[in-house]
Amino acid sequence: MITKTKTLKILLYSLPIPAVLFSLFIGPSQMVTPAAIIDFFFNNSINSNLIKSVIIDVRLPRILLTFITGGALAVSGCSIQAIFRNPLTDPYILGLSSGAAFGAALALAFGFIPVQLSAFIFGLLAVGLSYLMARKNNNVSVVSLILSGIIVSGIFTALLTVIQYFSDPFKLQSIVHWTMGNLHNANWNKLQTSIIPITIGVFVLFIYRWRLNVLALGDDEARTAGINPDKDKLIILLAATLASSSAVAVAGIIGLYGLIVPHMVRMMIGPDNRQSIPLNFLFGGMFLLIIDNFSRTISGFEIPIGVFTMLLGAPFFIFLMKRTNILWNR
Amino acid sequence: MEQVNKAISVKNLSFAYKGDYVLNGVNADIEMSKLTFILGKNGSGKSTFLRILAGLLPYQSGNVYILGNDNSKLSFAKRAKLIGFLGQQHKAVFPFTVEEVVLTGRAGYVNLIPKESDKQAAYNAIEKVGITHLQNRIYTELSGGEQQLVMIARVLAQNPKILLLDEPTSHLDFINQSHLLVLLKKLANEGLTIVAVLHDPNLAFLYGDDFLFVKDKQVIRSASNVDAWNVDFLRTIYHDKIETIPYNGRALLVPFLN
Repeated sequence: MITKTKTLKILLYSLPIPAVLFSLFIGPSQMVTPAAIIDFFFNNSINSNLIKSVIIDVRLPRILLTFITGGALAVSGCSIQAIFRNPLTDPYILGLSSGAAFGAALALAFGFIPVQLSAFIFGLLAVGLSYLMARKNNNVSVVSLILSGIIVSGIFTALLTVIQYFSDPFKLQSIVHWTMGNLHNANWNKLQTSIIPITIGVFVLFIYRWRLNVLALGDDEARTAGINPDKDKLIILLAATLASSSAVAVAGIIGLYGLIVPHMVRMMIGPDNRQSIPLNFLFGGMFLLIIDNFSRTISGFEIPIGVFTMLLGAPFFIFLMKRTNILWNR
Repeated sequence: MEQVNKAISVKNLSFAYKGDYVLNGVNADIEMSKLTFILGKNGSGKSTFLRILAGLLPYQSGNVYILGNDNSKLSFAKRAKLIGFLGQQHKAVFPFTVEEVVLTGRAGYVNLIPKESDKQAAYNAIEKVGITHLQNRIYTELSGGEQQLVMIARVLAQNPKILLLDEPTSHLDFINQSHLLVLLKKLANEGLTIVAVLHDPNLAFLYGDDFLFVKDKQVIRSASNVDAWNVDFLRTIYHDKIETIPYNGRALLVPFLN
């Protein structure tokens, strides 16, 4: 039992690098075959400029962006599940995705601020609104937070519909594409803008990883054991929102991902967040990379990754919901 | 600093909830190294009183001194080193192991990640409660009685001077209730001050050293501990149709209502 978990852990820590290297070989370009890539690294063949540009300008940023996006969503989801003591929550439930989608649509339709920046601002704004609406007597209960998350999501979805309604077909198409997840137009620029906030958010969650265990047992339990749960939860919520909204801003909406990966990691190595926070990042990054490899090779055109994760995620979510007893009364 | 010969000293404490007083002008002392039970009817304010002692509820007026320290001025971490608190039936969501649950009791000592000494303290607490065989089990898969022992180990891991327990026996069968109270008695004999709210006065009289009663927004004591099981006194607390049966120098209560 213990050795099995240990083997899994070693495997989870060592797999990401081969997964990244393997992904370099995958893509629609017919010219850039694995043999050509190997050839590129060892000889200087005629096609090297094309291959160089496919690897360096197309595939590598996409791989890295996919990896940090998946990692950020998984780590944020895991932390939010712990502080709300509810395994069926993730940042999206607090309104992050609909806020970000509205922000992106606003920028795509009117074009006065960059899409990523607008998505990021409105994602943060949505979570902030949910939090403030749920706050009562200095206390934020899980039920009211989830309810206000639903309301905030509803408002931003309605506003998104208004923008879509008045947009011309061309803009409408780019809005729809954005909301389906858009790792296919990854570039170094996107990676550059997202890597700093994601690193900050994930790092804070990483240093708070044991606190998550304490907070997961309940507010009174945390308070009487000697920590201030309100302060810690706010810091963790801010860090998780920063990381996940930066991920959403550059990658679009990747449905249910932040909810499901923490469960997969928990099933593999248990709920101790000291282990599961770092592993959520590595496994979350690697798994999204694998899904992305599928989404760009399985058919002649690219299936948007958000569609993929949503279709995979929904049955899994129902399975979890049937299996878990959620404590709505806390 | 005052009243350091008492574990807890409550002076003129008042607490109101939505404008209605639950406790009004309460004075009470809790002795060191004793097993003290707080008794009274449902809704009398027993749990409120305990939660105030634990520093979980802000009160309107009065003072609570914990080993001479003003409770309202203690930080979370400092208070945790003096007082351990265990609320009513704890519900866990994630399948942590017993060891991981007990280790969280060290939160007041740990900066961010627990050290080897914290793991040792958690292990000592597990040993003290006598559940070393459960150490690697999953907390959520344990029985109610076992879970309660784990939570007590968790509070002991924080190494408090005073232990506050709210209805520690409420979800246990009657044998497990007694097992738990024997354990509390043993811990009190070893020097820990324990204050527990109990529904059942019979269990309290079997194992307790000292008794406080919450009635009419007051915390009262019987004239002496022997009077605690005086039938006339108990009728004023619970109901006028109860009877007592002498047992082993103390008394058991039987309600004859209808």
